Amino acid sequence: MFLYIIKRILRSFLSLFLIICIVFVLLRQMPIEGYFPSNYDRLTELELNNILRNLGLLDPVLVQLFNFLKQLFTEFDFGRSIRYLQGRPVIEIIASKAPISFRFGMIAIFFSMPLGMSLGVMMSRKKSGAWDKIGTGYIVLLQAMPAAIYFVLIQLYGSSLLGLPLLYNPEVPRSLILPIFTMCLPNIAFYALWMRRYMVDEINKDYIKLARAKGVPNTTIFFQHVFRNAVVPMTNTIPTAILMTIVGGIIIESLYSIPGTGGLLVDVIRRQDNPMVQGLVIVYSSLGILGLLLGDILMAFVDPRIKLHKKGDQR
Amino acid sequence: MDHTNQEALVSIKDLNVKFKLRGKRLHAIRNISLDILRGESLAIVGESGSGKSVLMKNLIGLLDKNGEIESGAIYYGGKDLGQFKEKDWQGFRGREVAMVMQDPMTSLNPLKRIGWQICEALRYNQDMRGEQAKRKAVELLSDVGIQEPERRYKQYPHEFSGGMRQRVVIAMAMACNPRLLICDEPTTALDVTIQAQILNLLRDLRNKYDLTMVYITHDLGVVANVADRIAVMYAGDIVEIGTCNEVFFSPRHPYTWALLSSLPQLGVKKEDLFSIKGTPPNLFQGIRGDGFAARNPLPLAIDFLHRPPYFEISPTHKARTWLLDQRAPKLEPPEQIESIKEI
Repeated sequence: MFLYIIKRILRSFLSLFLIICIVFVLLRQMPIEGYFPSNYDRLTELELNNILRNLGLLDPVLVQLFNFLKQLFTEFDFGRSIRYLQGRPVIEIIASKAPISFRFGMIAIFFSMPLGMSLGVMMSRKKSGAWDKIGTGYIVLLQAMPAAIYFVLIQLYGSSLLGLPLLYNPEVPRSLILPIFTMCLPNIAFYALWMRRYMVDEINKDYIKLARAKGVPNTTIFFQHVFRNAVVPMTNTIPTAILMTIVGGIIIESLYSIPGTGGLLVDVIRRQDNPMVQGLVIVYSSLGILGLLLGDILMAFVDPRIKLHKKGDQR
Repeated sequence: MDHTNQEALVSIKDLNVKFKLRGKRLHAIRNISLDILRGESLAIVGESGSGKSVLMKNLIGLLDKNGEIESGAIYYGGKDLGQFKEKDWQGFRGREVAMVMQDPMTSLNPLKRIGWQICEALRYNQDMRGEQAKRKAVELLSDVGIQEPERRYKQYPHEFSGGMRQRVVIAMAMACNPRLLICDEPTTALDVTIQAQILNLLRDLRNKYDLTMVYITHDLGVVANVADRIAVMYAGDIVEIGTCNEVFFSPRHPYTWALLSSLPQLGVKKEDLFSIKGTPPNLFQGIRGDGFAARNPLPLAIDFLHRPPYFEISPTHKARTWLLDQRAPKLEPPEQIESIKEI
């Protein structure tokens, strides 16, 4: 088990390294106009070259990559932002924003995971029963309606009818309610959908029939066999789902003016702020890889058929 | 064995079962009456879709949700199982009737230790818990021929081979301490050498625990080994029933003839293995006359018009075919089955 995890981590670093290199090289292929503010047309050739040289963009790509990696690994230096907040270290910008998104995400998960999974379980208890119909209606509604519409409606009516703050304010805890509620809605649908599906998968299996045939009461079967076994595929999706939530919702954060990382990546790509893009890619890729790794390790804990140390040797 | 004055454990009377399927109704069991005698081993044979599993699922309350008993009754110890509600089944399933299913690879919960799964059966049917249950479970595992039961007790199903899993499933059924054990194709998913072992095991357990057994199968080889009586089912009806010897050596129904003809025989060199032409009748529509008439190579005219009644050949042997009517021409069974001398 231990050896397997070490191997997985080493492999994760290799993937991360490759991702960084690829993104780095691709970023250097962007048109140079993007590096300049609106005055691009009025600058002379000399001025342009000076700016580019200062940004280190005139060196051969491989030299730039080598320098970046050297700085990254020796000093853990992600570079400085060139356009977004000019001159500020990338790591500082991310560190100031990520915890806000992280906090929102965690609170939203804290509510939506138990609620969503319970809803899924209730839905699976009786096919086409009341819970199943309500739940299906809820899921279909959320999937069918563009998210922005109900996000805005909740913000408008939540603030006008319930008197809750319209925008996020770190000083006022009540201002958390609307954005977190909004964030929970699609998450609950996600957990309910998958939980129901995995429960139904299990209910139709032969060993459930046999458990009934040997006289086990239905409620016991439902929790000790069906639910227990449906948790296995669920654990594999949870870490990634959590990470996706933590990364932040673009629309929700901009609606409530939450200074989080949601939408930051798109923003810096548009402004061609290469160091920022690289920094965010490193952070997000690490989280993504970590999520997959956690999912696999958790699976080994809940499913006796998966023995990590045995397989680790063969891979 | 004399079957005439044995007491019936289960008595099925004029049972009709229908399934609702896409707005249509499928008549799966067509007016079946059948007694399962205490202590006997009854085999129900028939091709896929003949209703043999459906018939037996009624005895354990596991009929699929879209199926219902339209009329008739199933008496078990004076109670009509057809009237059972879900709560009545609690305490009946397992304790009275247990089941072994076809595929041992899927009939155990993959995430629970097999000891736990056997103890679960002990707990709900024999009120055994803790150490007592564990000791009993280990004993049962050793009873069904599993080596090192103490160690195996702690293992998961994936650590067992197919045959071993079927033994575990049987141990689980025995843990219920039932009076009637239904084996639904218990050896179909196993390879031939293991099949014989499992059948021997079931036969031994039957003697040891004085069980009544019902085998559901389409494998006549299985039947010959374990059954006292055979009921041949076709299109939701029992067309012939008799002792093992009667059905094998003096079959009367053309369907039984056809079924026996299609049995491969060792040491008999023939061109092709016989197969029954055509397909079983559509159970969505009512069947007129004898259900097998359309596939019968030599049908009588009346076969297409009226459903034959049961004709009694001996106190234990009866068949539903017009061939047994006094006015019918004397047809000889096909020669292939004449060669069945021993089974």
